[in-house]
Amino acid sequence: MRASLRWLSELVDIDVSVDKLVELLNFSGTKVEAVHSIGAEVSGVVVAEVAAVTAHPNADNLSLVEVTGADGSHRVVCGATNFAVGDRVPFAAVGARLPGMSIGRRKIRGEPSEGMLCSAAELQISDDHLGILILPPEAELGTDVVSLLGLDDNILELEITPNRPDCMGMVGLAREISALLGHELKWPAQPEPRAASLTPAVTVEITDPQGCPRYVARYLEEVSIGPSPLWLASRLVAHGMRPISNIVDVTNYVMLETGQPLHAFDADTIVERRIVVRRAGEGETVVTLDGVERTLERPDLVIADPSGAIAIAGIMGGAATEVSETTGAVILESACFERASVSRTGRRLFLRTEASVRFERGSDPQMAPVAAARAAALIAKLAGGRVADEPVDAQPQPLEPRRATLRPARTDHLLGIEVAPEAQEKHLRSLGFEVSSSGSELEVTIPSWRQDVASEVDLIEEVGRLEGFDRLPATLPAGVRGGLEPEQSVLRELARALSSCGLHEAWTPTFMGAGALDALGVSKEDPVRDAVQLVNPMNEDERRLRTTLLPGLLGSCARNLAHGAPGAALFELARVYRPGADVLPDEPATLAAVFCGRRSAATWRKGEVVWDFYATKGVLDAALKFLRLGPLAYVAAGGMPFHPTRVASVSVGSEGIGIVGELHPEVCKRFEVAEQSLAFELDLTPMLASLPDRPKVAELPRFPPIYMDLAFVVDSSVPQATLRRAIADSGRPEVTSVELFDLYEGEQVMQGKKSLAYALELRSRDRTLTDEEAAAVRARIVSTVAERTGGELRS
Amino acid sequence: MSATEADVSGLLEEAVKSGLSRIAEASDLASLGQARAAVLGRKAALARARSALGGFDAEQRRELGRRANEARARLEGALEERERAFRAVEEKKRWEQERLDVTLPGDEPDLGGLHPLTKTIWEIVDIFVGLGYRVADGPEVELASYNFDALNFDSQHPSRSEQETYYIDDEREVLLRTHTSPVQMRVMEASKPPVYVVCPGRTYRRDVLDPTHLNSFAQIEGLAVDEGITMSDLKGTLQAFARELFGRDLDIRLRPHFFPFTEPSAEMDVLCFVCRGSGCRVCRQEGWIEILGCGMVNVPLLEWAGYDTERYTGFAFGLGAERVAALAHGVPDIRYFYENDLRFLSAFEGGMA
Repeated sequence: MRASLRWLSELVDIDVSVDKLVELLNFSGTKVEAVHSIGAEVSGVVVAEVAAVTAHPNADNLSLVEVTGADGSHRVVCGATNFAVGDRVPFAAVGARLPGMSIGRRKIRGEPSEGMLCSAAELQISDDHLGILILPPEAELGTDVVSLLGLDDNILELEITPNRPDCMGMVGLAREISALLGHELKWPAQPEPRAASLTPAVTVEITDPQGCPRYVARYLEEVSIGPSPLWLASRLVAHGMRPISNIVDVTNYVMLETGQPLHAFDADTIVERRIVVRRAGEGETVVTLDGVERTLERPDLVIADPSGAIAIAGIMGGAATEVSETTGAVILESACFERASVSRTGRRLFLRTEASVRFERGSDPQMAPVAAARAAALIAKLAGGRVADEPVDAQPQPLEPRRATLRPARTDHLLGIEVAPEAQEKHLRSLGFEVSSSGSELEVTIPSWRQDVASEVDLIEEVGRLEGFDRLPATLPAGVRGGLEPEQSVLRELARALSSCGLHEAWTPTFMGAGALDALGVSKEDPVRDAVQLVNPMNEDERRLRTTLLPGLLGSCARNLAHGAPGAALFELARVYRPGADVLPDEPATLAAVFCGRRSAATWRKGEVVWDFYATKGVLDAALKFLRLGPLAYVAAGGMPFHPTRVASVSVGSEGIGIVGELHPEVCKRFEVAEQSLAFELDLTPMLASLPDRPKVAELPRFPPIYMDLAFVVDSSVPQATLRRAIADSGRPEVTSVELFDLYEGEQVMQGKKSLAYALELRSRDRTLTDEEAAAVRARIVSTVAERTGGELRS
Repeated sequence: MSATEADVSGLLEEAVKSGLSRIAEASDLASLGQARAAVLGRKAALARARSALGGFDAEQRRELGRRANEARARLEGALEERERAFRAVEEKKRWEQERLDVTLPGDEPDLGGLHPLTKTIWEIVDIFVGLGYRVADGPEVELASYNFDALNFDSQHPSRSEQETYYIDDEREVLLRTHTSPVQMRVMEASKPPVYVVCPGRTYRRDVLDPTHLNSFAQIEGLAVDEGITMSDLKGTLQAFARELFGRDLDIRLRPHFFPFTEPSAEMDVLCFVCRGSGCRVCRQEGWIEILGCGMVNVPLLEWAGYDTERYTGFAFGLGAERVAALAHGVPDIRYFYENDLRFLSAFEGGMA
């Protein structure tokens, strides 16, 4: 919202500096985004008249223009062609200044030029730089253009919050300023319309009072359409609007002034001069002012005459009833339309206009007749014409004034400061609230333009913002026992543990396209295909909520490799989304990681290390060991996106929680990551549901252990875990530790066999074990291993 | 003829003299060992002198014994001194042989790191934990009734449109939460005051991605509801928070604003931690940096939760983790946070925020 300081000054005395005003507005809830000082960079530009135009001898697209100013004539070279002899134009003489340039004598393609003719853009009054700004014929030669156009002004660029439709007009803003400065609001003088006892012969029918609580029409005839006077046109331009014609410009001007959108119909194009406000018929069409045929739907609110829709209520008028050069009679519309309806229709049609942005915030029903009268009078003044005395004012349900009660003590209670009841009353009155005291309470009548205020707390806010939040002291409430829940702490520790293992944490997108699942190669029946879907994604790649974190991580790894990283190891702790029995999906906390390429560079002490299955598995074990979660059990598994024989399902206790493995070479190719990239993904829910107890420590063993190495030869197909479990099970209770220290396949053992060597620790809590006891344990182990795996002790 | 006193004296003198010269001849620890045997051994001159002592009377024996002991002490002293010298040389040789180039790189375990958003969120959460808050969580796929209705959004609020919010169903009852505020409602629904919580989490809006907009971003919501909570408490809390995060001596200010779920509402600015108010690139010449939106919990929300609105009041605030992290680390483009470029992430390695 742009607001001219000059204009505001006409409505309220502003006796503070611009900086101070900006501060006051900022700290009362009307944020000033910027202040544009227009005209300040323009000097020496005066009114001149075009005396002659001749072709430039050396350039087809330039002409030589003779202009006459108050001080005689000058010749300039000009590129524009939108003017004729006799037009008055802004002339920047030698020595003039414009934004970013100063004017001197120049030669352009060989012809001397003593100055420049200015476009609206060069004068910073609009973006229009295509032609020279044509000034009105009455502009006196030699007059300074800056003062002529009222350009020496400050335009405030304001952020108006959606609850304040009243501040979408100068009057509302001036009222805020009047409350801040303690000065009276000066309502714009109402030009006296020429008396005319005309019968309007206009009828208004509202069939949907909810959609249109009030519709005021004013009838004028014998108007002469023409351009607006300069003061009006330049004011519109300064507020970002394009001057069109006196009638249309007045409706826009009054809208800027009052915040009440208006529309002018050519009265003679309205069948029977009968206006009906109704909901659209399904598929009904109307061609709007911008020339586009709009197809309407049932809930859209329209202005119609007996022939059909003639405007989309509160959004845009129709082309067929538009005011044109031939218009003689005008019906002015000043109405209130339902916020929701305007906003819904505008969004559906992708149409936002100066009118609709105001109606979307809500309009003041009391302002409708006032704005209509103001516009009618201005039109009568600027376009001639006679105004029908009586407005047509359709208002199915008269408005009751709204009231609320304020307990001043409640203000203090909520703000934490004391504000005297008299001061509270004064603040409210300054904003136009009527206040009467009754006992310790204030009875407040809410002005019609403050639709946002309804309850006591709304009044407290008004008092608070005028009192100033800078008055509030900084105090602290009691709080409770602060802290993290155990599972919140565990997730933090898990992230720390993984990053200590050399992984970087990633945040990847929640959204997932079907293409990502295809790239993972998962089957049509795979549960990851069952995703929560959006009805309105911005593109197909964000249609689904992810059921796996892997595509996001793979994408990030690929990006790093593409940037030349020799390797990447990323993990993410986030939610996946699984449709469940409830309306809302499950959102299990999930951990995943992807490992590609180099783990660590070669150093002077060791060669380069790349990520492989066991490195990946080691990270997973270490991280969970760090949290005392686990131990994890691994069983060979299969299925995409993994390498068929290099993947394991992971479980804790009896519960499967995830999978770890090398990715299928095809998957690596599709995601453009290194071949032999690896990944794991775990559902953390079961672990978070049964967090480990605090560690308990028994008395340390007092008797020395016996160490024993045992190597077994087994079939290559026997999983290591099976052999190890046979040793651990049969070694109990003496065997307290079993660690694999060697794996051998090769010439020393038979084809199809492998040798696994374990370091065992045997001990007893209550005595030193004898050699005989150790031998017995060893015999037990050898026999169990033979029984369970067919393995033999390697000699 | 037994030896005379003079004989023994001569022997002792000779033993010392020849002993010292023998010791002096030793060139290393090994030859010094041989010298030790030669001068203190059983066949040495000193031993021979001692063995002659038996023929003297007690007084002479004592005197000669004393001199023999002196001679031995001299020899032992000389031996010891030489040995120390030889050991020093040998040690020096060993140290030289064992010398390391300490400037060679150490074996560094591979260092990973936490994501800057994680670090920022933890830091903020920890500040509030210190102020007596718990941490709460809610679903990201949320009901419109929690995301909008309960928070006092009117039925045609633009945020509800399909242009701004991701919906899961055509009836627009289930959506991706657009802010962390619905967690407030779930916490209030499930518990009675006093309530002090912060709620970090991912949120979603249908925005086109650019350097300052994401369609998925992280927010941190705060809520305090208790007896007698005032807007001054809100100000004090935010001041404590801002000072912890941005700098001990920085002021904050509240500017009135509008949100459906708070009344009064405000935006909080912190004094620019770079220029301290004079205006710079970071604060876009304003001297202050807008950090978050906040306000007193609006009465309809407390009513929705079934709280006694006369007895309980509260405040709430919400801030964007990306914005705070970008400010704190000078990140020029918030899309960096979701690209996971290791050149970016490696800046956040290690434990420090």
